[in-house]
Amino acid sequence: MDDLTATLPGVSRPPEGLDRESLRQAIQHEYALVADEPERGFHFHTGRPLAARLAYESAWLDGIPEPTIASFAGTGNPFSLGVLEAGERVVDVGCGAGIDSLIASRMVGAEGAVIGVDMTPAMLQRARQGAEAMGVGNVEFKEGYAEALPVEDAWADVVISNGVFNLFPDKPAGLREFARVLGPKGRLQIGDILIQKPMSDGARRNIDLWKG
Amino acid sequence: MAAGFVGFEITWRADVFADAPQASSAAQFGTLGINFRARKPESDAEWRAAIDALRCATG
Repeated sequence: MDDLTATLPGVSRPPEGLDRESLRQAIQHEYALVADEPERGFHFHTGRPLAARLAYESAWLDGIPEPTIASFAGTGNPFSLGVLEAGERVVDVGCGAGIDSLIASRMVGAEGAVIGVDMTPAMLQRARQGAEAMGVGNVEFKEGYAEALPVEDAWADVVISNGVFNLFPDKPAGLREFARVLGPKGRLQIGDILIQKPMSDGARRNIDLWKG
Repeated sequence: MAAGFVGFEITWRADVFADAPQASSAAQFGTLGINFRARKPESDAEWRAAIDALRCATG
């Protein structure tokens, strides 16, 4: 992996001069607002209308508390990429308010397990409230960064994530961490974004553009 | 086990930012929402084969 990211074209490198701590703080501030004031309106869609736009099946949302759904933010649909089997272990990277973790927890059932990881305390609080309200026993939410996941080596069968990978300042480091927590043949099922036009170095360091 | 992935595939793309409540830079950069998948290789041999194939493809 290190070798490839150093030599292959098109592999995203961390932008030089990007203030990573300021970026993290800006992202945490933005997503704390999504957790606490989802009705505020953002530069991305949220909530139930977003879930419909991303082709989430309505049955997946049954029983999930409305505050959890209201704070849903994402750019894709990890579950459209493949079924999560009963008994599987899932890591939801950047779990936010926890909607994908809760959907996954039902798919994998009582024999399976889900760990949702997020760096924003307000989102984790929302996620834990949702799990408690549903009485879900096979999901755990942990605070942490994608580049240092609080998950054992080779623990997971599947890593899911939704609209978060693009926010990693060091994407190769994030991919290494995904690989670390997955066992052999472990899957990535990711919703994210694709930027079709080139970005200048200055734009790549602009935290306002990272946020939206 | 090598730390890489094989079988990368983008399965869906769409403009997921259109008509968002606040203006964004998405249109400026042609930003789309996507779904992608990949999997961890089953063995070091599969990983080495994937790297060799990439090296051939990129010269």
